[in-house]
Amino acid sequence: MPSLTIDGREVTVADGTTVIQAAEELGIFIPRYCYHPGLSIAGNCRICLVEVEKIPKLQIACNTFVSEGMVVHTKSDIAEDGRRAVLEFLLANHPLDCPVCDQSGECDLQNFYMNFGLYNPRFQEHKVKKNKAVELGPHVMLDQERCILCSRCVRFTDEITGTGEFGIFNRGDRAELGLYPGDVLDNPYSANVVDICPVGALTESDFRFKARVWYLSSAPTVCNGCSQGCNVDLHYVLDRPHLNDGARVSRIKPRYNPDVNEWWLCDEGRYGFDWVDQARLTKVRGPSTDSLETAEVTWDQALTTISAVLSAAGSDNEKKDGSRIGVIASAQLSCEELFLIREIFCGTLGARLTSSVPEEPGSSDDFLIKADKNPNTSATTLPGLAGPDTLEAGQLVDQALAGNLDVLWVFGHDLVKLFGEESVRQLSEKLSLFVYSGTNENATVPLAHWVLPSAAYVEKDGTFVNCHGRVQRIGRAFPPLEDSREDWRFLLELADKLGLSFDWREPREIFEGLARAAAPFDGLTYESIGRQGIDLATVREESQ
Amino acid sequence: MTLSDLEPRTREILELYEQPRAAMLPLLWLVQENQGYVSQEAEAWVGRILGVARSHVREAVSFYNMFHTKPVGRRELRVCTSLPCLLRGAGHLMDRITESLKIGPGETTADGEVTLTEVECLCACEMSPMAQLDERFVGPLEGASVDSIIQDSLTEPGSPESTPEPDPFISTNGPVLCTRFKDPEGTWLDGYLADDGYVAAGKVLSSMTPQDVIDEVSGANLRGLGGAGFPAGRKWSFVPKETDKPKYLVVNADEGEPGTFKDRYIMERDPHALLEGMIIAAFAIGCHKAYVYIRGEYFRSAERLQRAIDEANGRGWLGNDIQGTGFDLDVVIHRGAGAYICGEETALLTSLEGGKGFPRLKPPFPAISGLFQCPTIVNNVETLACVPFIFRNGAEHFAGIGTERQGGTRLFCVSGHVVRPGVYEAPVSVTLRELIENENFAGGVRDANSLKAVIPGGISAKILTADEIDVAMDFDSLRDAGTMAGSGGVIVMDETTCIVEALDSASKFFADESCGQCSPCREGTGWVHRILRRIMAGNGRLEDLDDLLGIAGDMEGNTICVFADAAAWPVQSYISKFRDEFEEFIRSGRSAERKEAAECPA
Repeated sequence: MPSLTIDGREVTVADGTTVIQAAEELGIFIPRYCYHPGLSIAGNCRICLVEVEKIPKLQIACNTFVSEGMVVHTKSDIAEDGRRAVLEFLLANHPLDCPVCDQSGECDLQNFYMNFGLYNPRFQEHKVKKNKAVELGPHVMLDQERCILCSRCVRFTDEITGTGEFGIFNRGDRAELGLYPGDVLDNPYSANVVDICPVGALTESDFRFKARVWYLSSAPTVCNGCSQGCNVDLHYVLDRPHLNDGARVSRIKPRYNPDVNEWWLCDEGRYGFDWVDQARLTKVRGPSTDSLETAEVTWDQALTTISAVLSAAGSDNEKKDGSRIGVIASAQLSCEELFLIREIFCGTLGARLTSSVPEEPGSSDDFLIKADKNPNTSATTLPGLAGPDTLEAGQLVDQALAGNLDVLWVFGHDLVKLFGEESVRQLSEKLSLFVYSGTNENATVPLAHWVLPSAAYVEKDGTFVNCHGRVQRIGRAFPPLEDSREDWRFLLELADKLGLSFDWREPREIFEGLARAAAPFDGLTYESIGRQGIDLATVREESQ
Repeated sequence: MTLSDLEPRTREILELYEQPRAAMLPLLWLVQENQGYVSQEAEAWVGRILGVARSHVREAVSFYNMFHTKPVGRRELRVCTSLPCLLRGAGHLMDRITESLKIGPGETTADGEVTLTEVECLCACEMSPMAQLDERFVGPLEGASVDSIIQDSLTEPGSPESTPEPDPFISTNGPVLCTRFKDPEGTWLDGYLADDGYVAAGKVLSSMTPQDVIDEVSGANLRGLGGAGFPAGRKWSFVPKETDKPKYLVVNADEGEPGTFKDRYIMERDPHALLEGMIIAAFAIGCHKAYVYIRGEYFRSAERLQRAIDEANGRGWLGNDIQGTGFDLDVVIHRGAGAYICGEETALLTSLEGGKGFPRLKPPFPAISGLFQCPTIVNNVETLACVPFIFRNGAEHFAGIGTERQGGTRLFCVSGHVVRPGVYEAPVSVTLRELIENENFAGGVRDANSLKAVIPGGISAKILTADEIDVAMDFDSLRDAGTMAGSGGVIVMDETTCIVEALDSASKFFADESCGQCSPCREGTGWVHRILRRIMAGNGRLEDLDDLLGIAGDMEGNTICVFADAAAWPVQSYISKFRDEFEEFIRSGRSAERKEAAECPA
């Protein structure tokens, strides 16, 4: 455990720590382009030069291992001169086309120039010309002139995906980044190279010219694209509808979590957000007196009527197996919502509850992508929430078709897709109450008696449990669209109308109730989960 | 030949290497030799065989400038335009060739006979101005021989050639390195044995311990003659004794420093001296597998060294159980493919492992983790060729030839404006003046001109003015004189030399040869060269000189290897020592040394 001094402050670090890492422990940021903690050390950009006493030349902090008594200066004149020189070299052939570059505003060439560059440029020669606006694949554009050849992307496709698409061809100042001629960058993690590109060489096709980054707001959440639960930041724009084609969500960026996804995110998750702004259910609809079609109603009208029907159906049935109320919950719902569903429908109404639906498994790999495309399946199987399932959704549908159910409430699932339109049409005719709550239009919606528009996961607070048993918080980036409401909110309102005396008013409080009721959540709070999540009590016990 | 026809040969090549990827350059050579160029199909084929992404195969193909990615002429004429050739009329030579063939550099004649290529130093400056027709070096190309080479280039490969075999000045008196240089056809095993060859190796293998060997070499004050001058015995002592990993000896025969052409003579005229030195070095470090990395342009060196290896294998001086001593050593030749940077020892290792020639971050140093992450010693050809002498004649004798801190002699390569460019062996205490002026060496400045400047140790070394040449040529004396002994390449410039043009040429070399890994070097070398091109074109500004010095200073010491320093030193030394000439050039827009500005090509 060597101790060293950086900029006059002493720190003790583990053996094998580099100066750049030791500085980080002190909160001292040393600039870097080629260095990335998730990749091997390249040492080529030279921007992390620091002065180390007793060594005549400046040293690169990324590859200098600390030793006892080492004295490092990151801000001395010669260290800053060295970095300024490196920056001038990096910018010599750079096109300086910031006004038309999507990276502008989050570019480390701009940032470092403003931080410690500020030199008068000496470069007067013709710049080396290379290719611009090269489409590398479905998600990534390349500008070879902006590239500073740090090789992060090359190392990513070599070391992380093992796909090896990138190469740096040629040598000297003719060196250029590219793919093998004719190759396409379409591996399942391709867009990560955009995140790790420190400059505007690799940019996202999807985000191209959509918005300047300084207009974006950011909110931390968890990807709902599969059961891995990768941590992400949601970038969105609300008050400038002329940007981003009027959509709120602009892009999704991975958020570092060493226990879940490190720095990475799959393309499927990254680009699976169109539904948040497209084909949303935004109005509450209920049976119409003068037509077969549903008509727009208020939330209060809907919940009042629904709760009355539920009370009547529930009072007939004390025994769960014989209940005439069926509920198909969803692994897209938060833990808080699954808990409320159990409390409301099973506790008092004795409903038959399942969240098990016959979904086709999706693509998967041995890295981040899981076949289960729901973010909260683990929670649905936990006692105290929706699980354990003893029932399949298909059985409930059969019961409904056999006339053994009066009420069916479906959370988010497109029954038509799962069981066929004819079955759902018949079921709709047989049921006295068929409620559909969900976020988006689908073929089941027109067949439901009541349609309750739900908030998207990015519009609400709550928690998901990933496939490894880690509880993680999702976060509300912006309010629900139009009349849509968070499931937890209308479930609480329903509970109120049913005369249930819950004193929870928001997800945080619901979670406290959940933690008291369900053993795996024992002792957990939003604070203890934090922004990086925490393993369930049961998982923690197993690993001990 | 189709690619599948090459597969049997491929398997033989793969067997030579511990890791398949290391067969990258040999397989690319195999493809090019049989198909004339490396097609995309061939890149993919090589990638499949080696288990390497084809993007990385292409990285290699694009990095090494001897590989062609499209069909070329039946013959290739590679004309050297580096400083030593430039000093002796390479510009004029290129003009005559382009005029006659009616094509420019990079082009192929209409009938596909010949492709003309402009290349950096081929390290045959003793025959400058020179060129390489396919595998053969020819020069000096002056007068009628220019017509001959043009005529030869238009004939079918393999036809009898009219250009005469070069006949340069080579010293043969020894005492250490050149005693068997007399025969241009080379000294072979019988001749070598008859001249006490392998006596030293026999003695070492049968009666000494590795530590004895290291001590002896340390006592001889043998310094690394590739350019850095590091004590050879000390380097060998860095190899860990207690390790399960195999250890490697890698011979740096990637002779590339402009103005240097000594290792080629050792490999072509006395190859067994190198092999004997290798046996002794391998024994000292406990190595049983050695590679000789020969620059791609040295076809004949590779051929002759291979012949010597075959002889030695056949007669029990290499292979298993050498001369019944129980010591094994396999030697494999690995050919480069046109990249100066591979002479840097860690770039050489990366290249040998099948990558682009990128120098590595240090530490770890090769002695701890080098080839295939195993302990590795990289030694220059000349260094190893000195070793048998030490064990035949004793360390004291060798040490006594040199200075207090550097034993022995060196093969000094003298090129440029001298009467007799050539390879001259001399004790390292010889002065630069003696090498230039002495009748036993270069015989003075040509045409009775006066001396203007000398580069004492290859193009990277700082320039010395005419009144700075009374300096001994050992590493320490030249360092004290503010320059370096480097590779022993002495480039002489007389009064007719335009120093701006000389720096322009040097800067072109560094811009062409920068590997492009570190930003200061990649961008700095190109930047410096573009400023000099502008000055040469008559568009210089006086502020350019301070900018050049500033850029050179910013490059120096800020990169993974010392290439950037080497690129900075000429800029710093030429401008600081000849600033008036630079300023005059900039003010007048042309060279003070030339009657017409056109002589300095824009």
